[in-house]
Amino acid sequence: MRRPLPHPVSALVLALALGSGSLVAAPAPQLDRATLAVHRAQQPQRIIQAQAHFASLRAQFGLGEGDAFVARHAFTNPEGEAIVRLEQTHDGHRVWGGQAVAHVLPEGGIRTITTSVRTSVALQGEPQLSGDRALRIALAHLAPKGPMKDAPQVERVVFPAQFLGGLASKLDGTGRPVLDRSMSVTAKLDAPYVWAYEVRTRLHNREDGTKELTYLIDGNTGKILRIQDMVQHLEPAQGSGTGFYRGAVTLNTTLANDGTYLLMDTTRGTRTNQFVSGYQADPSATGWSPDIPALQVWFHQNDSDGNYTWMDGLFQTPVGVTTWGDGLPFTAWGQEGGINGQTVGVDAMSAMTTTWDFYKNIFGRDGMDGQGTAVAANVLNNFASPSWDSRDNASWSTWGQYIDLGAGSYPANPKGFQSMADLDVIAHEMTHGVTNPSQSHYWVNSAGYEEAGLNEAVSDFFAQMVKAYSTRTPGEDSVIPDTDGADWQIGKNVGHGTPLRWLDKPSLDERSVDGWFDGIKYMDGHFSAGPLNRAFYFLANGASSTPGSASYSPYLPGGMTGIGNDAAARIIYKAITEFLVGDGTGTITFQRVREACEQAAWYKGYYSEGTPAVRNAFAAANIGDAHNQTTPRTQVRFADFRHDDYIESTHFSDYSTRQVFPKGETVVPRITVLNNSNTAVTWSLGGPSMFNGADQNISKGGVINADGSWTTPNVMAWHSITATSQADPKQFAEGRVFLIGMDTDMDGEVDALDMAGVSVSWYLWGALNPAHSVFEAPLVDDDDVAFFVDAMKSTWPVK
Amino acid sequence: MRKLSLLLSSLLLGWTLACGGGSNTPSSTPLIPAKGLVYTDPTGTGWRLVKDASSTGTRIVLNLVGPSGLKTRGAGFNLQAPTTVRFGKFVTDDRVTTGLPILDTGVYSLLNHDPRDLGHEPIPNDPLEPRLLAGGVKKGNLLTVGIFQKDRYQSAKESGQALCRIALEFDPAVGLNAGDKLGLVITKSGYLAEDIGELTVHPTLEKTEKGRLVPMPIAVGTLSAN
Repeated sequence: MRRPLPHPVSALVLALALGSGSLVAAPAPQLDRATLAVHRAQQPQRIIQAQAHFASLRAQFGLGEGDAFVARHAFTNPEGEAIVRLEQTHDGHRVWGGQAVAHVLPEGGIRTITTSVRTSVALQGEPQLSGDRALRIALAHLAPKGPMKDAPQVERVVFPAQFLGGLASKLDGTGRPVLDRSMSVTAKLDAPYVWAYEVRTRLHNREDGTKELTYLIDGNTGKILRIQDMVQHLEPAQGSGTGFYRGAVTLNTTLANDGTYLLMDTTRGTRTNQFVSGYQADPSATGWSPDIPALQVWFHQNDSDGNYTWMDGLFQTPVGVTTWGDGLPFTAWGQEGGINGQTVGVDAMSAMTTTWDFYKNIFGRDGMDGQGTAVAANVLNNFASPSWDSRDNASWSTWGQYIDLGAGSYPANPKGFQSMADLDVIAHEMTHGVTNPSQSHYWVNSAGYEEAGLNEAVSDFFAQMVKAYSTRTPGEDSVIPDTDGADWQIGKNVGHGTPLRWLDKPSLDERSVDGWFDGIKYMDGHFSAGPLNRAFYFLANGASSTPGSASYSPYLPGGMTGIGNDAAARIIYKAITEFLVGDGTGTITFQRVREACEQAAWYKGYYSEGTPAVRNAFAAANIGDAHNQTTPRTQVRFADFRHDDYIESTHFSDYSTRQVFPKGETVVPRITVLNNSNTAVTWSLGGPSMFNGADQNISKGGVINADGSWTTPNVMAWHSITATSQADPKQFAEGRVFLIGMDTDMDGEVDALDMAGVSVSWYLWGALNPAHSVFEAPLVDDDDVAFFVDAMKSTWPVK
Repeated sequence: MRKLSLLLSSLLLGWTLACGGGSNTPSSTPLIPAKGLVYTDPTGTGWRLVKDASSTGTRIVLNLVGPSGLKTRGAGFNLQAPTTVRFGKFVTDDRVTTGLPILDTGVYSLLNHDPRDLGHEPIPNDPLEPRLLAGGVKKGNLLTVGIFQKDRYQSAKESGQALCRIALEFDPAVGLNAGDKLGLVITKSGYLAEDIGELTVHPTLEKTEKGRLVPMPIAVGTLSAN
C-alpha cells in the first residue's frame, strides 16, 4: 500500500503570532547599543518563548506530544530580534532535515519560518539495529585504510524518505566518466519516515587523505540511505597563478612561555577550535594548548621533495623574534615553519582577521558560527594523489571549523596557482562557516543540488565584500564601502591576473552560466553559482541596458540601478541567516533565495523603495520574473521520468529528472514547456554543464533524429542533452541521462531475457561478466537491477 | 516459350480472382465489427501460454506454465503480436511492479536477504527492493518479458504452474472484424535452470556455462477477434 511521502509546508508561515498580521512594516529602527544589550540579555527567555510557540503549533503540522522543537542556535540581530534556529525532534530524537526558525520580536510577537518542518512524523516501534551495528555498516562502506582523525559520531535520528540519497559520478582510472558506486545510494523506503542512524566520520591520514563523510543508515534494514560529503571546497579546477598578497601587515601573535612567538591571535575567538583538538598540548615549553581559543595558522610539514609527512606544525618564531616571513613565494620544502613558509602564514592570518572583523563589525557576528568558535588554518598543503590534488585548492571543514589551503603548484605547473592563502580565497572559505555553522545546520554543496550554487555564490559575494571592507577608510568600520576593493573577481591574485570567477559576468570563465535553467543543479556548485553571483552583483552595482556590456542581461534588457555594496550585503546576509534554513537536505532553490532576499529587503526596509531592485536583480539572472512583469516567462523542464518507480522521483535529491536509457537504442526523452502555447523544443547534444570541460563526468553523443527521438551512442556513461524552447530560445533545460549496457547475453538484442545475466551475476564477488554492471564494478547488485528495469520501462513503455 | 506461357496463365488467374470470384471476404458473408477477443489454449504439457480465469471479453490474461517436475529459477520470452492487438499492463499495489506488462504470480522468490550481512544480527527483507521482473513493448509490437530470481541461495521452483502473467487487450479503434485471426509468435524464450553451479559467491567457468538460459519452445494458442 502506498503512503504519501512527507512534504514541507510549501510556503513561509509568517506572522502567526502577530496581532496585527501586517507585514508591510516600516523600516525597523537600528537600536542603540544600550537598548540592544537589553534585548540580548533577554535572549535566553526568548529562546524558551520560541520553543513554546512551536510546541503550540504542533497540531497544525500534524505532530503530537512526542514531537518537539529544540533550540540549537540563537542570536540577536541589530533590530533587537532574537533569531532562534530550532531542530525538530520526535520522541527525543532529531528529525533529519527538520528545522524551523523563529524571529522573536522586541514587541513580543513571533514570526516563524517553517519550510523545513517535517509534518505528520510517525514511526512504528524501535529500530531493530543498534547504533553500533550502524557504525559497523558505515565503516564497512568507508573502508578506512589509516586511522580515523576523530572517533566517529553516531546519532539515532528520524529520517524522512524524501531525502533518500542519489547518484554520484566520477572519472575512472582512465578518465572515463562512470557512476561513482561508492557514493551512490539507491535504497528505497515505503514509509514516509524511518528510524536511522547518522554516522559522521572523519579521515585525515596518509593512506586515505582527507575525508568527511556522513552516513544515514536505515535503523531496520541497515541500508545506506544517504551519504554526504561534508568538506566544502573552493575550487576543484586548475588555472594559472602567481603573486604575493598582503605585503607588510600588523599581526596579533602570542608570546609563548619559552620566549618564542606563536602565530595565534587570542583576541579573536572565545571557544576552542575542534581541528586542533587532536594535537597534543605543550605545557612545558610554549604553553600551547588546544584549549586556548584563538585564530591560529598551522602548516603542513612536507619533506624536502614536497611530499606531505602527515605532520603539522604551528608557526613559531625564535625567541625574541617578532617579525614574520620574508615576503617571497614559498620554495623552502621541508622547512615550512621557517621564515619563507611564515610568509604564507602571514597572508593567512591577516586575511583571517580581516574576515573575522568584517563579520563582527558589519553584522555583529561573533565568529563564523556566531558563537565565537575560533578558526584555524592549515597552509602549504602539497598533497597530491591520483584521486585528489590539494595543492591548488582550498577547503572549509564544518567539523573542524578550519581552512585547508594548498601550497599551489605554480611555477612547477605553469597552469597551477600560487599559494592559496589570499584574502578572497580565505574570506570565501570562512563564509562557508557562516552558512554552514554546524553538522546539522548546513547547505548541501554537492553537484545535484541548486543549493550547492547558493553555497558558493554566497561565499563568492561576501569574499568581494570583505575585499571592499579591507579598503575602507580607517575608523569607518561599520559600513562596506563602494570602492574598487570589490573587483567582482575571485582568485585573481592566486591566478596571477586571471581570475577563477567573475561575478559580473560569470560566463567569462567559459564554465559558468549567466542565467538559471532547469538542470543547473547538475553543474558543480562553483559554476552553477553564476546566476546568483550575477544577481548579487546586479543588486549592488546595477545592470547595464547596453548590449555587449559585461553587465548587460538579455533577461532584463532595460537594465537596473544597483543599491550599493552595504545595502546589498545586509539584505543578502539577513536572507541567509534569518530566512533561509540550511537544514542539510539540499532543498533550497535559487527561486527560494530570491524570495528570502525579497523578504529581507521588504521586511527590514533596507532598501527604501522596497523589493523591486531585488526582483529585477534576480530576474536579470533568469530567476523569476521582473518587477511588475505581467506575462510569466516561458520555462522548459525535464519531466519526471520514472515517477513511482524504484528510483524515486518525488524527493529532492539528484535523482529527480535524471533518466536511464539503454545505450545504442532509439529513445524519447520527455520534456515540458510551461507558460507558452508553443511547446516545441529543439534538441541538442550536451549542455551548459559541459562548457569548456567544466564537468568531465559527462559525455555527449548519439544522434538527435528529426522526430525528436535520440539514438543513443553505444557508450555506457552519463550523457547530457538539452531542449531549447523554439518560442523563446533564451529558455532551455539540460537533462542528464545515464546510458547502460543491457545486452548481457550478447545476442545483439536488448530484451527482458537479458535479466538472466543480471540474475546469475548478482552478488558474485568478481562478476561473471563485469559489463553486466551499470557501474562498471565487479559486483552486480540491486543498483544494476533497478537500472535495468527502469531503462526497460522508460524505453519500451506499455501504452 | 514454355516459361512465358506459364507466366501468362498465372497472370490471367490473378486477374480473374481480383474480379471477385476468389475474394477472401465473400459478399455473401457480411463483415461484423469485433467487440472483443477470444483465446483457445494450446494442447500439450510443455511450456505454454494458457488463458487465466481473470480474462474478460476484451482482455485476455495468459499464464506462462512450464512442464510439471521441472524446477527453474526464472524464465523470459519475446512474443510477437499483430499491431491490431495491444499488450496490457498490470496495476499492482506496490511501486516496484505496477505498470509492467508482466505480473508476478508469486512462485519465484524475487526478494532476497541482504547479501552484505556482516555476520551479526539478521537484516529483515526489504519488500521494495528492486527485483528482476520487467518487460516492455518494442517496436513492431514485440512484447518482451522476464522474471528471474536473483539470489542463488533461493531454491529453484516447480514450473508446472502459472509462473507469470501477460495480457492482450482488444483495441476497438483498429477496426477488427469478428473472426479475424491474430497470429501470436514466440520469437525467443528461455529459462534459468535449477543447477547454476555451486552455492558460493565466487564466479567460476562452470557457473558461466550453467548460468546461460536454456532455450524452451512455448506453445501458443489461437487468438482471434470476435
